[in-house]
Amino acid sequence: MPGADKETDLSERIEAFLSDLKRGGSGTGPLRGSAETARETTALLRRVTAQARWSSAGDLMEIIRKEGRRMTAAQPSETTVGNMIRRVLKIIREEYARSRGSSEETDQQESLHKLLTSGGLSEENFRQHFAPLKANVIEAINELLTELEGTTDNIAMQALEHIHSNEVIMTIGRSRTVEAFLKDAARKRKFHVIVAECAPFCQGHEMATSLSKAGIETTVITDAAIFAVMSRVNKVIIGTQTVLANGGLRAVNGTHTLALAAKHHSTPLIVCAPMFKLSPQFPNEEDTFHKFVSPHEVLPFTEGEILSKVNVHCPVFDYVPPELITLFISNIGGHAPSYIYRLMSELYHPEDHEL
Amino acid sequence: QCATKRKQKKTCAWEQPLLQAVLIADSFNRRFFPISKDQPRALLPLGNVAMIDYTLEFLTSTGVQETFVFCCWMSNKIKEHLLKSKWCRPTSPNTVHIITSDLYRSLGDVLRDVDAKALVRSDFVLVYGDVVSNIDISQALQEHRHRRKIEKNISVMTMIFKESSPGHKSRCEEDDIIVAMDSKSQRVLHYQKTQGLKRLHFPMNIFHSGSDEFEIRYDLLDCHISICSPQVAELFTDNFDYQTRNDFVRGILVNEEILGNQIHMHVTKDGYGARVSNLLMYDAVSSDLVRRWVYPLTPEANFTDQKGQSCTHSRHNVYRGSGVSLGHGSQMEENLLIGCDTSIGANCHISNSVIGYNCTIGDNVILDRAYIWNNVHIASNVVISQSVVCDKAEVKEGVKLNKQCVLAYNVVIGPNISLPEGTVVSMHHPEEEEEDDDEFLSDDGEVGQSQDKTKQKAFNPAEVGAEGRGYIWKASSLDDTEEEELSQCLWGLVLNPDPDSDSEASEPDGSSFSSDPCAAVFSCAVFQIEVLGTLQRGLEENIGCDNLVLEINSLKYAYNINMKEVLQILTRVVLDFPFQQQGPQLTTPQYAALLLPLLKKWAGVFKNYVKRAQDHMDCLSAFEEYFLEQESHWGAMFKILMTMYQLEIVEEEIILRWFSQGATTDKGRQLRNNQGVRMRRQGGGEGNTEGKGSYLKSFI
Repeated sequence: MPGADKETDLSERIEAFLSDLKRGGSGTGPLRGSAETARETTALLRRVTAQARWSSAGDLMEIIRKEGRRMTAAQPSETTVGNMIRRVLKIIREEYARSRGSSEETDQQESLHKLLTSGGLSEENFRQHFAPLKANVIEAINELLTELEGTTDNIAMQALEHIHSNEVIMTIGRSRTVEAFLKDAARKRKFHVIVAECAPFCQGHEMATSLSKAGIETTVITDAAIFAVMSRVNKVIIGTQTVLANGGLRAVNGTHTLALAAKHHSTPLIVCAPMFKLSPQFPNEEDTFHKFVSPHEVLPFTEGEILSKVNVHCPVFDYVPPELITLFISNIGGHAPSYIYRLMSELYHPEDHEL
Repeated sequence: QCATKRKQKKTCAWEQPLLQAVLIADSFNRRFFPISKDQPRALLPLGNVAMIDYTLEFLTSTGVQETFVFCCWMSNKIKEHLLKSKWCRPTSPNTVHIITSDLYRSLGDVLRDVDAKALVRSDFVLVYGDVVSNIDISQALQEHRHRRKIEKNISVMTMIFKESSPGHKSRCEEDDIIVAMDSKSQRVLHYQKTQGLKRLHFPMNIFHSGSDEFEIRYDLLDCHISICSPQVAELFTDNFDYQTRNDFVRGILVNEEILGNQIHMHVTKDGYGARVSNLLMYDAVSSDLVRRWVYPLTPEANFTDQKGQSCTHSRHNVYRGSGVSLGHGSQMEENLLIGCDTSIGANCHISNSVIGYNCTIGDNVILDRAYIWNNVHIASNVVISQSVVCDKAEVKEGVKLNKQCVLAYNVVIGPNISLPEGTVVSMHHPEEEEEDDDEFLSDDGEVGQSQDKTKQKAFNPAEVGAEGRGYIWKASSLDDTEEEELSQCLWGLVLNPDPDSDSEASEPDGSSFSSDPCAAVFSCAVFQIEVLGTLQRGLEENIGCDNLVLEINSLKYAYNINMKEVLQILTRVVLDFPFQQQGPQLTTPQYAALLLPLLKKWAGVFKNYVKRAQDHMDCLSAFEEYFLEQESHWGAMFKILMTMYQLEIVEEEIILRWFSQGATTDKGRQLRNNQGVRMRRQGGGEGNTEGKGSYLKSFI
C-alpha cells in the first residue's frame, strides 16, 4: 500500500513541523529566521500538493486550509506561516483559472461593482477536474520557492541606493535582512553603524559582532540611550517580524521607542522587509498579536524570594504605527506605508484573509 | 513494500542510539491522599492539563523517541488517558509503551523489571509522571555520553539540577537538598536531603578524592530528571534493597570505591524543572506555569492538541477558554486561567487561580490562589483562598475556605460554614483507610465495596454544613505516627528546625582509623599477609576468581584499606608469590616460568580491580616498585609485562604513558632504559597486537 505509506509519511512531517513551530523561538527549540520558516512552510505545502489525495482544486484548497489553520494555531505569532499558505492558495486559484481558460486579467481587476455583484469564484466553481493542474501548481510553488531563496539578496542589492558614504546608521536588535543589507553596502562605502542592544535578549550584541567582523565601524548602545544618540543619526534601518495590513509593524521590543525618537529628530526610518512578511492581519487582534515568553531574562529564576512578590512580564513584540515609517524596502523595490494595501491585494486573494 | 520500508527505518534508528525514557506514572507514596484515592497523581490536572502530559511533552521535545510508561495505582485510568492522547497517535515522534503491573511497590521494582525485560539498550532518561519541565537535556546527555566514552562504564548517572536560591517558592523545605560536588569533573561526592537540619555532616573521604576544587551547594532544586546508563537497571537488580532513587544515589556514593561507579550532575540555569511532590509544590508549579516560566509550555499553547481546550492569553496573564462568561462587575485580576464553558457571576474578584472546565461560580465570590478543577459548582458569597477543590465538588452559599483546605471529589460543603485552615474533606471515610492498609493500594473492586460502607456512616453537619456530604480527614484522629505524617504531608511537611538534631549522614567513617599513620602501616602489612594467605589457599583449593575477589573485598573492609592500596598490595603479592612458595634462591627463568601461569589464573582478579586509567597506573607503579627491589630478576620483567598486556590486565596506552613518565629515581630510570627504548619504538610504530607480539618474542 504505497499510498497509505505516503500519507502517513506526510502526516508525520506535518506533525514534526507543528511541534517545531510550537517550540520555536523560545531558546529550547531550534531558533531560525522567518525566511527559513517561509521556505519550510512552502516546501511542506508542495509536499501536501504532491502527496495528498485530491481530485479538484477545491479539494486541494480545503486540505491546505485545514492544515494551514493548524499550522497558524501552533504559533500564532509566526505570521510567515499563514502568509505562505495564503500565497499557495492564491497560486491554486490562478492555476485553476488558467486551466479553465478565463483570463487572469479579469480576475485580478477588482472594482467595487464587481465585488458587490459577482462574489468572485465561489467554492463550487473549483470542482472541475483538470489533469495537468497538479503539475502546474507544483511548478508555480517551485517558482515561489525560488523567489523566497533570493529575497535577502534582492533587498541587499538595493543597499547602495540608500546608504551613502560617511553616514551614521542606527539599527536595533538583530535582523538577518538588515545584516545582509548593511554588509552589502559596506563593500563599496564607509559608514558607521550604531546598534541598540535590545535588552533583555541582547540580540544587538550578536549583530554588532557580526557587523564588525565584516569591517563595519560599529557601536553598541543601551536601549535607554536611543533618544540621546538619535540627533547624530542620518538614517534608521530596521527589520521587522511582520508588516501589518495597515502598513504598521510588529517588530522586536523597543522599536516603537526608536521610531518615535526618529520622528522627533525627523530622521528617516527605513524598514527592510521581504514580501513574505506582509500579513493581512490588523493590529487590533489582541490575542494573537502579543507573545510573552518566560520572564527568566528579565528577572532570573535564581533571584529566589522576590519572585513570589512581583509579577514579571517579558513581551517580545512592539507595534509601530505606519505614520512613523518613511519607507519599506522589499525584494521588489521600495514602497511607502500607504501602498501596502495595494501589495496586499496583489499577493493574497481577499477570500483567503481568513483561513 | 510497506513492511520493508518500516524495517529500513528501524535499522536506521538502530544505528544512531535511540533515546529512550522510563516514565514512572506512580509516586509510590500517598502524599496526595485522599485526592489520589479517586485519580492517580499523574492524571491530576495542573493548569487544566494532566501532569503526565507535561512530562511526555518534555520528553518528546527533548528528543526522546521511545518512552516506557510504568503504572501501578489505577493503571487502567492512566492507560485510557494515554490511549486517547496525542502520544499514542501513529504520527507521534515519541513511541509510548504502557506497562502495567500491580506488583510494583517502588522505583526499584520498576527498574528491576526494566532490567528483567531488557527494555533499554542505551542511555535513558528517568523521570516521574509528575515532573513539569522545559529543560533541554541534550547538552547534559552529550556530556554524559562523552564521560562514558572516555572512562568506560564508570559514570552511571547524570542528575539534573536547576539553580534556585533558598527562599524561592518552588523550593519546598522537605525536598531541600545539599550536594557536594567536584567542580572540575561535575562529579557528585555527597547528596543529602537537609530535612530542616541546622547541622550537617559530610564524610571525610569526599575531600580525599584527589580533586582540588570542591563545591558544596545549597542553591539547587532537584528536578528529578536523571540520565541513566543501562547499568542503573542492573545495579537495581543486584541490590534488591534499593527502593528509591535516594537509596541508589547513596548506595553508589558510599560504595564508590568498591563498585567503581560514579554519579555526575548537570546544573541548568535557564530551563525550568520541578516535581509536583506535594500540594505546596502543586501551588508553586501552577503559579509558575501561569506566569509563563515554563514557556513554551504555556496554557494557551494547547500542546496536548485536545479539541476545545484552547484558550487565549491577554494582559496580566489572564487566560480564557472559549465560552467563558463573566458577570457584571466581576474582575479577573491577574495570573488567572479559566477553562472552557465556565460561567462566573457578578461582582467576583478572582486572582492567582486556576479554574477548570464547566464550572459555575455564583455572585460575590472571592477566589485567591484557588485551584478549582472541572465541573465544580460554587454558589454565591463564597471565599476561597489557597485551596484545592476537586472535580464535581459543590460549595454552597456563604462558605469560607481558609488556607490549605482540600475538597476531594464529589464533596458538598455548606451552606454558611467556615472551614478552618488545613481541613481535608473527602467522600472516603478515614477509617476505611485503616482496613485496607495492609493492601497498601486497594484495587477497584474494593473501592466499590467501601463505597457501600460509606453510605452507612452519617456525615457530621457540624463539620461539613447542613447539606454537606463528606468526612473530615484529621491529622490527630490517627494514632499511627506514619499516618499522621502522611496526612500532614498533603501541603508539604512543616519542618521545625531543631538546633540539637544531628544529621543521619554517615559519620566520617574510618577517618579516625587512618589518621594514625602507624596503625595504617600496620594494617597494610597484615592485609598483605592475609591476601597472600587467601591466594595460597585459592591455589590449593582451586577457588574461582569471583570468590577470591569477595574474600579480598571483605579483607579490605576488615583492615580499612583503600582501593589504591588494595591494588598495590595485590600486585606485589602476586609478583612475590613464586618466591614465597619456592624460596628466594630461584633463578630468573624459573621465576618467570612459575609466575606466568599464576598471572593467567588470576587475571580475573586483576580485571575486577583495574578499571580506570588511574588503576592501570597504580598497578604499574606497584610493578615498578617491586622490581626496583628485585634487581637481579630484571630479565623476567619484560615477559611479565607482556603477559599482563596480553591478558588485558593493563592497557598498551597506559604502559606507554608509564614509560614516557619520568622516573623519580636513578634506579627507576635504569629500569626503564633496560627495555623502555625498544618498547617505545615498537609501540609508536604499529598499534597492531600481532606485530607487537612477534616483536616481543624476537626480543626475548
